Formats: sequence, structure tokens, C-alpha cells
Amino acid sequence: MTFEAVDICKAFDGFEVLRNVSISMPLDGLVGLIGPNGAGKSTLFSVISGFMPPSSGHVTFDGMSMDGMSASARARQGMVRTFQVPKEFSHLTVRENLMAAAPGQAGESLSGLFLRPGLIRQQEKALKARADEVIAFLRLDRVADSSAGLLSGGQKKLLELGRALMVEPRLILLDEPFAGVNPVLIAEIMERIRELNGRGIGFFIIEHDLEALTRLVSHLYVMDQGAILAEGEPAAVLAEKAVRDAYLGGEA
Amino acid sequence: MLSYLLAIAIITLIYLLLSFGLSLQYGSVGLINFGHVGFFAIGAYTSALLALSGVPLFASFCAAALAAGLTAWPIGLISLRLRDDYFAIVTLGFSETVRIIIVSEKWLTNGVQGVPGIPRLFSSLPVGFEAQLATAGLLLAVCTLAALAMWRIIKSPFGRIIQAIRDNEDALKALGKDPARFKIQVLMLSSALAGLAGAFYAHYITFIIPEQFVPLVTFYVWMAIIIGGVGRISGAIVGTVLLMVFLEGSRFLRDFIPGVTEVEMASLRIGVIGLLLILFTLYRPQGIMGDYTKR
Amino acid sequence: MYFAQLAVNGLVQGLVISLAAMSITLVFGIVRFPNAATGDVMTVGAFSGLVVYPMTGSLLASGIFAVIVTAAVALISHLLVFRRLAGRSVVALLVASIGVGFVLRSIMGLVFGHQPMVFSMPLSRPYRIGGLAINPLDLQLALLAAVMLALAFAVLHLTPIGRQMRAVADNPSLARVSGIRSGRVLAALWVLAGAIAGAGGVMLGVKTVVNPEMGWDMLMPAFAAAIFGGIGSPAGALLAGLILGVVQEMSTPFVGFTYKIALSFAIMLVVLLRRPTGLLGRIEGVR
Repeated sequence: MTFEAVDICKAFDGFEVLRNVSISMPLDGLVGLIGPNGAGKSTLFSVISGFMPPSSGHVTFDGMSMDGMSASARARQGMVRTFQVPKEFSHLTVRENLMAAAPGQAGESLSGLFLRPGLIRQQEKALKARADEVIAFLRLDRVADSSAGLLSGGQKKLLELGRALMVEPRLILLDEPFAGVNPVLIAEIMERIRELNGRGIGFFIIEHDLEALTRLVSHLYVMDQGAILAEGEPAAVLAEKAVRDAYLGGEA
Repeated sequence: MLSYLLAIAIITLIYLLLSFGLSLQYGSVGLINFGHVGFFAIGAYTSALLALSGVPLFASFCAAALAAGLTAWPIGLISLRLRDDYFAIVTLGFSETVRIIIVSEKWLTNGVQGVPGIPRLFSSLPVGFEAQLATAGLLLAVCTLAALAMWRIIKSPFGRIIQAIRDNEDALKALGKDPARFKIQVLMLSSALAGLAGAFYAHYITFIIPEQFVPLVTFYVWMAIIIGGVGRISGAIVGTVLLMVFLEGSRFLRDFIPGVTEVEMASLRIGVIGLLLILFTLYRPQGIMGDYTKR
Repeated sequence: MYFAQLAVNGLVQGLVISLAAMSITLVFGIVRFPNAATGDVMTVGAFSGLVVYPMTGSLLASGIFAVIVTAAVALISHLLVFRRLAGRSVVALLVASIGVGFVLRSIMGLVFGHQPMVFSMPLSRPYRIGGLAINPLDLQLALLAAVMLALAFAVLHLTPIGRQMRAVADNPSLARVSGIRSGRVLAALWVLAGAIAGAGGVMLGVKTVVNPEMGWDMLMPAFAAAIFGGIGSPAGALLAGLILGVVQEMSTPFVGFTYKIALSFAIMLVVLLRRPTGLLGRIEGVR
């Protein structure tokens, strides 16, 4: 029941962006990854989630190798990611965004569409109920019927989380869930994440907002210049001198 | 006169089937298909050859749609791994290859000599007006069904995914869905429609030759949907009607202007099409009926 | 020996494909769309050469005139159409290029008619080199192509504007940052692309017959060679065009005359699926 990335390397045109990065976490864990801009966090995410092939290294999910799997296949195995810049379906409403994310819809094949209208009506009803649950959980009720493109940055982050939930994943990879989000909403999102984690969904979170992340996660990785600099219990990690130099020093 | 109008109506409806398919492909999932005529040709030859060997027309029409739709499957698998512009080139090459095969495989298709004597639809009716009327009626019914099907697709969970693909493919992949799967389905469906259109064409004209399936046909259809407005049922209808008005009108025009040969008219026609393609992309990319940006 | 002869014939055919592919690859690499009007620009070149040839009797003069005309045509198409579509989707450019091609074909058809025409070259005895028959005309054509190619590569590699073109083709984002993509570079690019296509058109016209559809029929092999050579790589296009020409000729005894066109399609598919960067290219064709 673990998620592992082993010795991930990635180079662009000979320039090494990731150098032997290894991550290991329980599937129901709550783990964070911090690092200064350009440390390679987002590249690592892209490699793990299958959007980019690694130069070398392996990814295993609950004992199964994910090497060579497409991004969509990885998501179907229960590992869903969000994006740093939200990629909402801007012309769909919030509810439609959520419904579109749900797996196993008969209405998504043309044959199903024309041959099993009854089943589709039934599924759509169930889907709508499920989407409304998620909407209520994320407190998105007021905007449920607005086009997703019109949401605020923070609401889009929530929507991405909601879409991920519709897939019923085991592990969610969150890419900077707090970036550009107002403090009230940050507290809100953190609360939701804790609640979901309590239900057994694992989280692996990249975040720039150090303070929020250390309060949230139980285990922390620090990346700098394409390599893992330190890992461990958040407070202990942050106390390490190397981390302070690389990260906090750079920030100040 | 009435019979002439009916004839035009039939050709218009056949082109409408082609326009629907192309419009669905580009308007919904952004496929730039420059080889639509290839599927049209496959449909025409499949149904014609089957009918001539004694297969009932209903079965041969179904086979035409099936053959075109199934051919689209490998084409889709291969091409959807490619970027949009490469897809355009590959499909163009595909349709030219289809034509080359038709020209070369004389044992099957009779090569450039073409296939004559293809049985008409409704041959039990007296030749002429009644049979024409029945053909037009059947085509109208098929087009209506196709339009309804398109409408149903757009308003369904499938349509929701199609919009999602247009909005953000990566997000869809991250949610475990493979955009290519949806594109292939759209490609297969619209190719089947093109195949059906080909069957209607073959059995209406009753004589098909490879020269009828040149890329120009594909670009006629592109012109129709670009002028009408991409991705819209109304756009496909308006564009196709205008295309026919233009094609037929230019034929009339020749009768009124003395000294213009058919060859010159053909050149003029292709020039006007070219000019319209340029002007619409430059000045009115959304077409007459407006773009498909919102469902 | 028979095959060696076919290979030699294929080389001349290949040079035509090379020129067409170079024109395509330059535009594709820099303006980022497959210019479907390339074939029709070649047609314009062939007709232009045909007009001058009877007056001068000189292949070189015909070639020069054709190249000037097609360079002008390409520049005009850029100024009137493609420049205005900058920043629009690839389909807009693609459809517009089809439109430009149609307009050119229409003008050629209206001016010259559809009767196939030929360059009436004086017949000459082929040179015999170790059993190979080499037509002096082919040698002249090859020379013409070589001059055009030398000029093109000289422009690309020896002039500042050529270096800028190659910079854009190699790394569009870098070039954009450094602000290279100026009007002057683009104008020069279209002139060059048009000139190359025009030379190819004259060659094609001399080798076959001149009619308004001739260029369009070259489009498929030319696209195939551009992709095979690697988009944005003129040297790749040259090499791929030659290979394609030879392969087409040498395969004729096996696949027949008609299928040799389909062969370039097949090669293109294999290249796209197996090695999308082509022989010498760097820009990927696969998502």
C-alpha cells in the first residue's frame, strides 16, 4: 500500500532537471514537497503522473509498475493530479465539470448513447447527485451553475480538487493548491484535505506556501536544484541547516 | 424544371451528409480532416460493387457505411497520435491513396473506366419523377436522423466530454480519460456518414469513376462548413445550400455568358472557391451562422 | 544495371521532390504550417518557364524568370494572406493555403488552358557512362537544381537573415524571446521558399508535361519528403527528396506506375510513427 518513485532522472537537451529523485509514501498518507522555484517540483509531478517520460527511474503504485503507462491510464489506476495553473473546462458549468470527470459513463460511447438511453438517464441522475454532494462538500453551491471559466482562482483550485474526487482516486497529487488563493479559502481547502485524508485518500502536495503546508502534512520532502535535499517530519526538516540555506535563505 | 430542382435537392442532401460529418469532426474535437472524400469513395464503391453482385440495396448501403466507418478506425489510431497539421496531411494522403487503389485495382473497380449501370434506388417505381422523389425523401429522412443524432451527441455526456476536450485535453487525461478514444469515435461516425453519402451518390448517379473522388470534393465540403459556421448543424445546412447554389449557379452562368468553355468555367469555379476560403478565414472565421464556442 | 539506370532516373525526379520539400520545410519550420499552396506555386513556375523558353531557347533563362515570378507570388501570398493570419490556428493557415493554391491554379487554368503543354527541348543523344544512359537534359536540370540549392544554402548559412531563419526553425521559443521573428525575416523566407518551389516547378515541367494540376500532384511526395527529412531541416529535405525519388523509381517494376505515389504516403506514415523527427529534424510531430 505504498506509492514510490525511484531514482527519477529527467534531462532536457542535456540539462538535468531531476537527479535521482526518490519518493516513498503510504497510499493513505499526507505528504508534502517544497522547494524554491525551479527546483524541479512540477517536472517531478509531470513525470509521476505520466505527462512526461522520465529519462530514467521507476514509478510504482501499490506494488504495480506504472512505467510506460499513459497519463490517463495512471489516473484510471487511482492516481489523479491537479495542475498549478487550474485547467478547468471553462465552457462547462461547475456541475458539468464534475460530471464530466466521473469514470465509467455509458453515455461516453456512441453506441451506448444511442442504444441505451434509459441507462444513460439513470447514470446522469446518479452522477448529478454525486456531483452535488461534492459541490456541497467543497462549498461551491453558489457557483454550481456558472461557467467554470468565470470562477475565481481559489474556486478553480477547489473545482480541480472536486473533479479529482469524482474519479474516486486513492491518491491525489495536488500542484500548489494554495497558490493565489485567499487565506480564508486556504483554511477551507486545508480542512477539506484533512477530512478527505481521514477517509483514506492519500495526498501528495507540492506547495510554495511553506507555512500552510507544514501545518497540513505529516511528512515533508524538500527539493533543491533537481534533487531531494531532506525529508522527514516537517518541523525537524525545516530545522535542518541545509534546508534553511537553500529554501528560507532564498526566500528572505 | 421540377425534376431538375429535385436533382439538385438530392445532390445537396448528399453533400449535407458530408458536411455534417466534417463539421462534427472539426467543430467538436478539432480534427482537421482533409481526406473526407476517401470515405465517400469507399462508400460509393462498396455499395455499387455489392449491389451489382446482387446484394439487396439496403444491405449494400449498410455495408457502405460500415466499410467507411471501419476504415476510419486504423486511420484514427495512427493519425491521432499526430499533431493536428500532420493529421491533415495524412488524411489527404489517405484519400489520394484510396483513389490510386481504385484506379489501379481494375479487377475490382474497373479502374479509370469506372463502374457503370449501378442500380437505382426505388427501381420498382417508374423511372423519373417518382423514383427521384422517393430518393429525395429517403435522403431527407437520413439527413434529419443524422442531424438529430448530432444534436443528441452534443447534448449528451459524450458532448460534455467533447467540450472538455476543446477546453483542455490535459485536464481530461489527468482525470483518466483518453481524448483519442473520443476523437476516433467521432471520426468513425462521420466517416460512416460519408460512406452512406457515397452509397446514395453511387446509386443516384449510377455511374462512378475515380475522377469523381478527387480532393476538390473534400474542399467543397470544407468551404461549405467554413462559410456556414463550423460545428453547427445550421451552419452545415446554410453552407451546403450556398455551395450548391454556387456550383449550380456557375453552370447556369455559363449558359448566359457566351464563349466561356466548360474548362474555363471549372477554372473559374476553383478560383472562386479558393478566394472564398481565403476571405472567410481572413475576415469571417466564424462563418455566417457563427462559431461553435458555446453549446 | 537496369536498377542502376532506374536509380539515376530517380535522382532527377528526386531533385524535384527535394526542391518542393525544401520550400515546404522552410515555411513549416518557421511559420509553422504545412503550406498546401506549394504545389501550385511550382505550377506557376513551370508555366513562367514555358513562356520564356521559346523566346530564349535557354533553360537557364527560363529558370531565372520562373524563380523571380514564383518568389514574387510567394511574397504576395505572404503579404496578402499568411501575414494577416499570424497567431491564428493552424487550420486557418492550412485552409487559407489551400485557397491560395486554388486561386493560383485557377489563374493558370484561365490564362493557359488545360491542354497539356511541353517544353520542346531539342532531342540529344544520351551520354553513355559504363552502360548507364545519362540524358544531357537531365544533367542540365540537375545543374539547374544544384545552382538553386547552392543559392538557397548560401542564403541560409552565409547571410545574417538566413542565420536568423535557421535560428527560428531550430528553436522558435528562443527566437521569439530574442525578437528575431521580424517582418524582414519572414518576407525573405517567403521569397526564398517561392524561388525554390519555382525552380522545382520548371524542372518538373521539363521532365513531364505542364498543366494546371501538375503541382498539386507533387504535394504528397513533397510533404512526405519534408517530414521524412525532418521538419525545418532544408538539408534533410534535400536528402529525403533524393531518397524518395530513387525509391519511387526503383520500386516501379514491383508496385507499378500508379502505386509509386502511394509509396511516398506509406513512407511518410512509417516515418511519422517511428521517427517523427525525421532524418535530420528536431521538431517533433507527435504529441
